[in-house]
Amino acid sequence: MKGKAVLRIRAILFLFGAVLLSGSTGLLSALCGPFTDVSDAAFCPFVLEIFYLGITTGTTATTYDPTGNVTRLQMAAFLSRTVDGALKRGGRRASLDQFWTTQNATVLGVTTVGNDPELLASDGADVWVACSGNSLVARVRSSDGRLLETWTGAISAHDVLSAMGRVIVTGYTSPGQLYQIDPTQAAGAVTTVASNLGNRPDGIVFDGTRVWTANILGGSVSIVTPGPSLPWTVTTVTAGFTSPMGAVFDGANVWVTDYNAGKLFKLDGSGSILQTVTVDGLAANPVFDGSNIWVPCGGNSSVFVVRASSGAILATLIENGLNDSIGAAFDGQRVLVTNLGGDSVSLWKAADLTAIGTFATGTGSAPVGAASDGVNFWVALSGTAKLARF
Amino acid sequence: MRLGAGFKKVLVVTAAVLLGAGGWLLGNCGPFTDVAADVFCPFVLEIFYLGITTGTTATTYDPSGNVTRLQMAAFLSRSVDGVLKRGSRRAAGEQFWTTGNETVLGVTTLPFGANLVKSDGADLWVANSSRATVTRVRASDGKILETWTGATSAFGVLSAIGSIFSTGRTNPGAVYRIDPSQPAGVVTTVASSVGVNTGGIAFDGARIWTANSNSVSIVTPGASTPWSVTTVTAGFAGPNGAIFDGGNIWVTDGDTIKKLDSSGAILLTVTSSATEPMFPAYDGSNIWVPNFIGGTVDVIRASSGARLATLTGNGLFGAISASFDGQRVVVTDQANGGVSLWKAADLSPIGFFSTGAGSNPYGAASDGLNFWLTLQGTNGVTSALARF
Repeated sequence: MKGKAVLRIRAILFLFGAVLLSGSTGLLSALCGPFTDVSDAAFCPFVLEIFYLGITTGTTATTYDPTGNVTRLQMAAFLSRTVDGALKRGGRRASLDQFWTTQNATVLGVTTVGNDPELLASDGADVWVACSGNSLVARVRSSDGRLLETWTGAISAHDVLSAMGRVIVTGYTSPGQLYQIDPTQAAGAVTTVASNLGNRPDGIVFDGTRVWTANILGGSVSIVTPGPSLPWTVTTVTAGFTSPMGAVFDGANVWVTDYNAGKLFKLDGSGSILQTVTVDGLAANPVFDGSNIWVPCGGNSSVFVVRASSGAILATLIENGLNDSIGAAFDGQRVLVTNLGGDSVSLWKAADLTAIGTFATGTGSAPVGAASDGVNFWVALSGTAKLARF
Repeated sequence: MRLGAGFKKVLVVTAAVLLGAGGWLLGNCGPFTDVAADVFCPFVLEIFYLGITTGTTATTYDPSGNVTRLQMAAFLSRSVDGVLKRGSRRAAGEQFWTTGNETVLGVTTLPFGANLVKSDGADLWVANSSRATVTRVRASDGKILETWTGATSAFGVLSAIGSIFSTGRTNPGAVYRIDPSQPAGVVTTVASSVGVNTGGIAFDGARIWTANSNSVSIVTPGASTPWSVTTVTAGFAGPNGAIFDGGNIWVTDGDTIKKLDSSGAILLTVTSSATEPMFPAYDGSNIWVPNFIGGTVDVIRASSGARLATLTGNGLFGAISASFDGQRVVVTDQANGGVSLWKAADLSPIGFFSTGAGSNPYGAASDGLNFWLTLQGTNGVTSALARF
């Protein structure tokens, strides 16, 4: 009996293999791939595509029920799987065979930069890290993690923006400074383009025309208009702000977090507050994922997910290792949040806000800033003067 | 129960999420009271968080309701938009802005004579007819890396076969090759017998096609140079641009765009809405054809040749080159001194953006993160490559 059963299984496997090998034409009774009930040759490729992509499994192993209606519940599953599949396949990570999540501090790729690396930005090829301890900005090549050059004279360098073919850096001073690097030139001292920003500029963002900084001390937002000559024009707005820290641009508006007030403000083009979203205290450096703004809040170790189009809070994420959360980045599929107090990073799938996990960055690493180049996340480890590839 | 601890943790998280969302105390699945907390809930939540659905009300989703074809259109359109927006290199680079004006262009100054441009994924290559050069500019920072010489009347650029190709707008026309792994030097002429005044250049996976002032040439790469050239004249008035849609080569020609078979015979002729169609872009579904005289852009469905739309306004006056970055199409407008931008998926205009008085924008390319524009300039001394 046992032998017969094995033979039968083998026969079934053989049959299954033959079906697969012969494609959609050689199926004994199926008309369209595995499906016996799909007969329209024009529609069959569409049905097969969503089957092969895992968007549908069919109603049974051999049926698809082509004339059946779709409920909104079923539609949610189809659309959700479609989005997931397209993002997963379309990402640069897929074409580089990089489907893993870095699991621990041992397998981080690390580059020693300057002291107290804070925030950072990718220009697509290199990562630029502000190191306040040495008042320098380090340029690290993404492909191999090599430290290419260091730019000096960036007093209290804090946050970095890659825009206009330049690298712009905030100086965390009072009044605040704004530095510029021309990355086509040999490394040297940064150029100060404005030295009258609000006190202690922290976050920096670009809206396509102007550079915005969130100034934490005294509470202001500075709007800097690049011009052909130095210094660049600065307008500083204070109304309604307590301690702005992070800034993000959603394609239409600049938003800033207010660190001590625990707020997220949506601003109009002149820096006036259009909308106030109450989040948790110590609201830090947010990131926009194309739909929603993720706001890490250190006060309660939470992350608020806010819909940019309406300002509605979609979710408040807790746990997942959040501990004095401070920085965030989006890579097209995932959001990474740094845990300054936890020496770790927390990851979520951005599309459905499900937790992926918490991953250690090393004892005493004190991660602050995060950025993505579309392949890797890059995390500034302020405690160990390193830039880590995650 | 061994499952107890883990299950309790899930409950805690769920409760916290609901509380954090404020008014969702009654929801079984996020804000929705009518969706059970079962295997379908994560799917519903995903399309809600992504903005693909808003629910039928703030607290209901109507899970058993059917979907009309009209509603389905909205769901699919939002899904495509969301995927493209999130999946692009621009999202990971936190680059959600549109460059607002000429002051904030990243400009790399080049000698006068810049024509068309193409990205190899990391660097931009610019053909310069006045200097007979092809210049390599690094996309990440806009630095000029090297300049290749000997490319007489260099005009069009192609990145393919691990090489860079440029057309020589000469009589007869030429195709030059650059091995980008070698130190910069003199280009290699791989064909010097293509049709007169070679302009646009495209690759079909095996052969290089050029659009010439009265013909189309097909160049077959070989082990030794010169490479063999077949030139087809039948039916062509004055081809400008060439593009490959994954199945066929198309050339802009006179006041038409023509779909060719593999031997260069004309399969289909689509009449343009204006005259002098220039350098088109293919967005994966449709071909965007800028018309220089008349200042329109025709959007042609590649699969059928149907003209889906004729775009006017949005700053168009004398359109030259189109480029697609995965989400948007840019068209350079030489006459109006700027670029027009559209959302490619629904053809809605994003706006017109000045590249400066006398900038003379001409060629356009994308590396997926930025558009790159050649600004020919008018001073006879310099031109530029601008990051847009």
